[in-house]
Amino acid sequence: MVQQLLSPRVLLVRVVAAAVVLVVVMLLCALAGSESISLKTAFAGAHEGGSANPDYEILVHIRVPRVVLAAIVGAALAAAGVALQALLRNPLADPYILGISSGAGLGATLAIIGGFSWTLWGRSPVAIFAFAGAVGTVWLVWGIGRITGKFHITGLLLAGVVVNAFFSAIIMFLISIAKGQQLHATMFWLMGNMAEEDFFVLWIGAGCVAAGVISLYFLAPQLNAISFNPEDAKSMGIHVERVQLLAFTISAFVTAVAVSLSGLVGFVGLVVPHAVRLVLGPDHRQLLPIASICGAIFLVIADTVARVIVAPAQLPVGVVTAIIGGPFFLVLLVRYNRKVSWLR
Amino acid sequence: MNKWWILAVAFAAWVGLGCVLLRPRHAEAAFEAQPSRAPTRVVSMAPNLTEILFSLGLDESIVGVTRDSDYPPAAALKSTVGTFWQPNIEAVIALKPDLVMALDLEQQRGLTGRLTRMGYKCLTLDISTVDDLSAAISNVAAVTHRDVQAEQVLGSMKAKIAAIRNKAAGKDKVKVLWVVQREPLRVAGRNTFINELIELAGGENAIGKTFHVYPPIGGEQVIASAPQVIIEPDMTGGDLAGQRIQAISYWARYATVPAVADGRIHVIDGDLVSRLSPRLGDGIEIIAKCLHPEVFGE
Repeated sequence: MVQQLLSPRVLLVRVVAAAVVLVVVMLLCALAGSESISLKTAFAGAHEGGSANPDYEILVHIRVPRVVLAAIVGAALAAAGVALQALLRNPLADPYILGISSGAGLGATLAIIGGFSWTLWGRSPVAIFAFAGAVGTVWLVWGIGRITGKFHITGLLLAGVVVNAFFSAIIMFLISIAKGQQLHATMFWLMGNMAEEDFFVLWIGAGCVAAGVISLYFLAPQLNAISFNPEDAKSMGIHVERVQLLAFTISAFVTAVAVSLSGLVGFVGLVVPHAVRLVLGPDHRQLLPIASICGAIFLVIADTVARVIVAPAQLPVGVVTAIIGGPFFLVLLVRYNRKVSWLR
Repeated sequence: MNKWWILAVAFAAWVGLGCVLLRPRHAEAAFEAQPSRAPTRVVSMAPNLTEILFSLGLDESIVGVTRDSDYPPAAALKSTVGTFWQPNIEAVIALKPDLVMALDLEQQRGLTGRLTRMGYKCLTLDISTVDDLSAAISNVAAVTHRDVQAEQVLGSMKAKIAAIRNKAAGKDKVKVLWVVQREPLRVAGRNTFINELIELAGGENAIGKTFHVYPPIGGEQVIASAPQVIIEPDMTGGDLAGQRIQAISYWARYATVPAVADGRIHVIDGDLVSRLSPRLGDGIEIIAKCLHPEVFGE
């Protein structure tokens, strides 16, 4: 069985290697931006020669937070993607499949059109509404799924599709009555809107996502069994429904955190898990940590491209993830053709 | 279950540590304490704010403007900081501003929020009606110590608007359809500053009260609203005569509409009428010429 193929040492080496690559990519990406800054000046500190030091502020208050944010969001989406693909046993699953995206989008659109200007712990109403929308929608879809049968995956997926369509329609209606400027803000949010965040927000976000990824990692052996065959898993003594509920809740929470931080960044949660699975195989004990780190690397790079390529303007990061990610994934798909089969 | 407890405790510790070390503090208070001097390095985040600053004679103090700030021509010589709907925060910081002027829009709120937390002084203005514009000009003048210039700017702007109003007074109100987009058709509704401009120029919006701010409408409403004049502001900065020919061929399908039958279809410079700036009087004059050519001349 797959479980035996992976020794803890190999896993550790791979995770550490991926983490090193992530750190290097983050450092390099923090040096890229629309303004050219000198590291020497930046390291002179906040107040070089009595006056404010713009190089320091750009590096420390703008670029580092943004690169860290991209890493957090990328890791969250990739981990949630891995878990949902395993739970739903469906290669098309991604973190948004159960309606999270439209729920969060509806929340964000309402906040933008409502034009609120208060903040809560440094978070804008858009982020808070998006989080609430995401969590509320998952709960709704889950509830409908339960009614259709005791954990019936088809029922759950259909509920997700219908709720998605319904909320998307409401978003479209709201957009049609929005003013031009609100329309613009909404569209950007829906395509992934990375912005610089407070260190406090990043710290909490990183904690939530790390806790989520580690929890999913704890469930990896059970996820392996379930993704092979839920019936066999049951006969092996695994509480399938409990694991499913737990993993769903964690994935939904992690996705909601990511979405409230950055808007709807597409493609990461679908493609990164598949890419890692193609290259390294389907064992979730390896897939979860490595896919999270690769998701972080991928989104850091994509966001840097989005920041730099049309400078001084910026592209929505969702555009870049699809444009870079699509062809890259197709190349992998062809190269590792023999491993394409979903469950090997 | 042991590992779950360790994780829960570690997470709680992480959050607690973050709350102790990194809790957001408010930087605004420090600024109020400083003696107020006129700012010398101002960044403008919108084309109409740039126009206001220049009109107050602040040429020397402006260090950065948005890329869409195309008036006055001197604005083109300043450094750019992205566009007004997509500001570039790195470029703003690189200019070491002591005042950042922004509009009260969602896209700019994020920027000013971050800059304020980093200790920069930001002035956010809500300019969505003609009255807001006057208030904003006075507000900017107060912060930049230009009250005398502001009185002149406001005086001449108000005098121009009053003159247009007087000339149009007593004339029949002309029904105007203000087209912001042709396909699909979208027009300016009542709850817009465009509506104010139309009324100041001696006209009336052909579209009544609508739920949408810029309602999308169908052919039925075009015919039913029976506009006497159709105005299309040009947002591309292109050739107005060429666009008018296109517009006329488009509107030919509504031959029974009075504006079409009388050939009263106008394409006008969008910048003058879509920005609430000190040049507003010029914009209203252009509209008045479309509505009452017999009074204002062509």
